[in-house]
Formats: sequence, structure tokens, C-alpha cells
Amino acid sequence: MLEGFILATIFCGFFGIILKKNLVMKIISMDIMNTGVISYFVLIASRNGLFTPILSDNRNGNYADPVPQAVVLTAIVIGLSIQALMLVGVMKLAKNNPTLETIEIEKNNTP
Amino acid sequence: MSTITILWIALPFLAGFIIYLFPKIDRYLALSVPLISLGYTLQLFTETSPITLQLLDNFGVILVADQLSGYFILTNALVTAAVICYCWNTNKSAFFYTQAIILHGSLNSAFLCADFMSLYVALEVIGIAAFLLIVYPRTDRSIWVGLRYLFVSNVALLFYLIGTVLVYKAHNSFSFAGLRDAPPEALALIFLGLLTKGGIFVSGLWLPLTHSESETPVSAMMSGIVVKAGVYPLVRCALMVPEVDPLVRVFGVGTALLGVFYAVFEKDTKRMLAFHTVSQLGFVLAAPVVGGFYALTHGLVKSALFLIAGVLPSRNFKELQHQPISTPIWIALVIASFSISGFPLLSGFGAKVLTSKNFLPWQTIAMNIAALGTAISFAKFIFLPRGNSENHVQRGFWVAVIMLIGGLFLANIVYYEAYTVENIIKPLVTIAIGWLVYLLIIKHITLKLPRTLERFEHLIGVMSLILVFLFWKGFAWLGI
Repeated sequence: MLEGFILATIFCGFFGIILKKNLVMKIISMDIMNTGVISYFVLIASRNGLFTPILSDNRNGNYADPVPQAVVLTAIVIGLSIQALMLVGVMKLAKNNPTLETIEIEKNNTP
Repeated sequence: MSTITILWIALPFLAGFIIYLFPKIDRYLALSVPLISLGYTLQLFTETSPITLQLLDNFGVILVADQLSGYFILTNALVTAAVICYCWNTNKSAFFYTQAIILHGSLNSAFLCADFMSLYVALEVIGIAAFLLIVYPRTDRSIWVGLRYLFVSNVALLFYLIGTVLVYKAHNSFSFAGLRDAPPEALALIFLGLLTKGGIFVSGLWLPLTHSESETPVSAMMSGIVVKAGVYPLVRCALMVPEVDPLVRVFGVGTALLGVFYAVFEKDTKRMLAFHTVSQLGFVLAAPVVGGFYALTHGLVKSALFLIAGVLPSRNFKELQHQPISTPIWIALVIASFSISGFPLLSGFGAKVLTSKNFLPWQTIAMNIAALGTAISFAKFIFLPRGNSENHVQRGFWVAVIMLIGGLFLANIVYYEAYTVENIIKPLVTIAIGWLVYLLIIKHITLKLPRTLERFEHLIGVMSLILVFLFWKGFAWLGI
């Protein structure tokens, strides 16, 4: 059920990238897709259990898997930095193309 | 050797940041890094067995350094060194050299990865560094081209990430070998990411605009080595998990034909070279066992061609027919074009012969047509008028081009067994037929092929089509 929701998030993000005309909306849709993928990693990490994998005195045994969680931190940071770079690019493009419609920008900038 | 490997991976990033802090020594420090890589890869070739580093247990980072990665790292070192020499006397800021060295370092790590997560990180850093190099001129057009590149790359790698976590779910580690146990969705998603990043087949149609609209040294670096970062994992997977080998070969053949078809009818020098890169990457994939050597020759020759095309007076072939180019430049252009057409005495010949020895029977006809198309498209460069004796190019250009073309001659020693009579006749016949076709047919017709598939929305939409195709074919065909 949760898996279905996460995959629906990823698809919403992907369709947003295709269907939205504004460049900023496309970037936000990409961010939604990014969030969906990261949540999928966290879901896979919770296969074995839901307890935070921190060693303490009473050991429960149903620990979540720390490996995907650790690995997805890198993906989060990378997604964040790429978004920041893209938004700076959009700011510069907005000077000459204030409506930021991809079709217009493409027509102006493709030989 | 393991410690040296880890130090060598970390060195370019350190050097990159130091370059930005001390701009006075930027070019010298930037040139020393590829030379150190060159030293490392020559050491790597003398190792008899592959070096495998498993950092932090079986779910951690796995690095494999063997001959295949050695070829790619050698290409990386030579192309980066040539690009930095070319940029020596142009007034590039320290930021440019920082990005070039960070790109070099991330490419090195990509060519050593043997697990999906480290590859993801390496490919993303490559994307970011390449983006910053593409937008270096800060014009509107370069910002749009760079943004498009980064966007397509990031979306493809998001799909790749989903595939990676499915591999982890099935195999409990991120290693490439886990592809065998993974569900077919994982295979389709990972391949989609790698195909898009490597510029293969229809998903690679972001490549022509990106490579042709960047500055000359950036185009040389991107076509010479950056796209190989997407192709290397496909070759590595085909070698580690032989069940996916047929799929990789099919994509190789398709890409070679698609690229060459567009290249033959192209009227712009840089766009033709970019389409040609697409086609040659197909050759690398068509015979994964010997893909490394082909990647080396292609990297050297394509960066040389881009650097030369940057100093030609115009980008349009029709205009170039009326403006003679200086004779030394013409000689360099002809040598490079001969190498890529497969003329003997240059390593392109050895690479083509070695690759055709490793084709499966159904591939030979299609790849021969692709080779013919290559000869036709490079006849456009060979038959340009020459004779103008003024020579305005900077000295750095000649250092770079001589380094690359010299590398082409030297790389012959890798496969000198190619020089038998029957092997020599076939490329000569192919080149002769190609020139005939060019002079009689192609020179006179103007066919403008549609560019719809290169539009931004279509690039993203094609990803979903390729995903469906991979899932359907990958599942039905291979039964994985």
C-alpha cells in the first residue's frame, strides 16, 4: 500500500516534468520525483523492522536496515545541489524570457 | 597498490580545490593531475590480475581496476591533458581549471566503480562538473544547453536509483553482480539511466546540441571522455553478467546505425562530429570484450577533431568549401579522419579490426554499413580545399593535437597483429566506396532531417518509451 503511494509520487513527478510548461514547475516536479525515490529507499530499509538501528542496552531485534538509509543521504545531497544549480540557471534565463516557458526558451536559444 | 589507488582517486579533488584557492598556479597544477593519472594507468597495465578493493564489507564500495578500466583511464588522462594544453594561453579563469580537474577526478572514480551506488555518485558529480563547464561562457544559449543537459541527466539517474534499490532488495548489496538476481524492472531502470547518460540510441539525442553548442575545449572533453562514463558500466555489466550481453550488443548496433545515418546528412561540422560520437559509442558496445581499446582510439581522435574543428573558419560545410584552410591544419584533420575511417597505420584501424573479430554473426552486416557511413561522413572533412598559409592558432593547440595524434600512432602497438593482407584490404575498400558515395551523391543533396526528437520534452518522453521497451524486451527475451 505504502509502496503504491510512493510509486504514485514518482509517477506524478515524472508526468509533471512532461506536462508542465513552465521551467520552474518542471524543476519542482523533478524535486517531487526525487522525494519519491528517496522515500522508496527508506521504505526498503524498513523491511526488517521499524526500530532505529542505534545500539543501546535493551536490544529489540527489529532494527531497520541502516545501509539504504545511509546511502540515500548522498542522493539527497546530490539532488539538493543539482536543484540549486538549476534554479540559478533559471534565474539567469528569466531576465530574457520572463514567462519561462520551455518552448519559448528553446525557440530563442536553439540554432 | 590499493593505497596508491585510493590516493590517486582523491588527488584530483584535492588539486581542484587548491587550484581555486591559489589561482596563480592553476594551469601548472591542472596539467600535473592528468600526468599523474597517466603514470598510474601505465602502472595499472603492468599488473597481471585485476585489483579489487572492497571498502567496508560487501554492501560498501567495491572498486575494480583492471585492463578494461585502464584503457578508459588512459583516454581520460590524455584527453584532459590535451584540453588543458589547448586552454593554456586563452584566458580561462581558475574556476574553469577547477571544474576540469574535478571532472577528471570523477571520471577516474567512475571507471573504477563496480557497484551501483558509487557509480551513481560518480555519474552525478560528472554531470555537475560538465554542466559548470558548459555554462562557463554565461550566455543565454549556453545556460539553456547546460540546464537541459543537467535536467535530462538527473531524471535518468533518478530512474537508475530506483533500479539500484531494487537490486539491493534482491541481492543485499549494490554490486554489479547483483544484476543477475534482480527483477527485470531493476534491469530496465538501470539500463535506462546508463543509456541516457551514455548517449546511446534514441535516448542519447541530447548529445548533438550539447556537444555542438559548447566551447571547443569543453566539446572535446565531453565527446572524448565524458560520454564514456555512461558506456563503461554497460560494458562492465555485459562482462560480469553475460546474460545481458545480447541486449547490450543490440543497442550497440542500433546506436551505430542511427548516429551514422544522421551524421551523413549533417551540414554543420560540430553537429556531425557529435552524431558521430553517438555512432562510435555503438561500436564500443557492439563488442564489449574489446570495448576498451576502441574507446581509447575514439577518445583520442574525437577530441583532436573537435579541437581542429574549433579553429576552422566556419562551422558550415558549404562555406568551408569556398575558404581554403591552412595546410598544417588540413594535414592534422586528414590524419584524424583517416584514423576514424579505419585507415591502416593508425590505431583506428587496429580497433576496428579487433572489434569486427569479436562480432556475433548477425552484427557484421549492420556494423559494416556503419563503417561505410563513417567513411562517407569523414570524406566531407578530407575533401576540403587547402592552401591558405596564414596560421592563426595558438601554440597550445599544436601541443594538444600532436599529443593526441601521436597517441593514435603509438596505440598501434596494442594490436599489431591486425596487420595482415586481408585485414588491410577491407578498410581500404570501405574507404574507397565511401569516398565514391560522397563525391557522387552526398555532396550534392541537402536533406534536412527533423530535429523533433531533440526537443526537451521529447527527450524526457522518450525515456518512458525506452523504459517500456527495455522492460518488455528485457523480460520477454532474456527471461531474467
